[in-house]
Amino acid sequence: MTDFAGLLRALGKTEVEFIIVGGAAATAHGSARLTQDLELVYSRQPLNLQRIVRALAPYSPYLRGAPPGLPFEWDVSTLQRGLNFTLITSLGAIDLLGEIAGGGSYENLAADTIVLDLFGIRCRCLSLRRLIEVKRAAGRPRDLEAIAELELIFSRQ
Amino acid sequence: MADQSINMLPDPVIERYKRDLDVTLIIENLKLTAEERFVRLMKLQEFAEELDRAGKQKESGRD
Repeated sequence: MTDFAGLLRALGKTEVEFIIVGGAAATAHGSARLTQDLELVYSRQPLNLQRIVRALAPYSPYLRGAPPGLPFEWDVSTLQRGLNFTLITSLGAIDLLGEIAGGGSYENLAADTIVLDLFGIRCRCLSLRRLIEVKRAAGRPRDLEAIAELELIFSRQ
Repeated sequence: MADQSINMLPDPVIERYKRDLDVTLIIENLKLTAEERFVRLMKLQEFAEELDRAGKQKESGRD
């Protein structure tokens, strides 16, 4: 199980700049679908990379699905060398995304967010309208049912 | 009030999916706060993991 509350609190405590996207954002907007991981678009600013490393270090982040024992150092230079990281931690699965298809970076998306108070942390979450646009633009067949649900939610607001 | 600036043509495939959605679940979810929706999701995950565990236990009992 992914401890969404624990992950958000850990990131909030170190003031990480992030936007909740994907299935977790859909949940925040009212989706009834089951999602397994916390997907976030994070700011690539150097200070923010330091904050992410500090926030997740106590929870032993490791590449999800990778065999144990691979040389994976959880530090700022690892984040600088990569962009999108699918990780497993002791709090559960988290995707740290530098960019998303159809949406771009943190800076591209920040204006299209809402602020939610979740588990005592003020979090940016992608707006419902933008979430639908991003999912449509990504064009993944597996998203079709999720988009249908989000559009129904949108029509009921 | 929804942001009416959304400007996307209806997609026939997405429209077809809408017919099979359980709207009652959506209506119930919309009554909750965002935090309550995450708490519900975590309970759902726990239940799914329990089902998975029970299924695997049953399968291994067959061998």
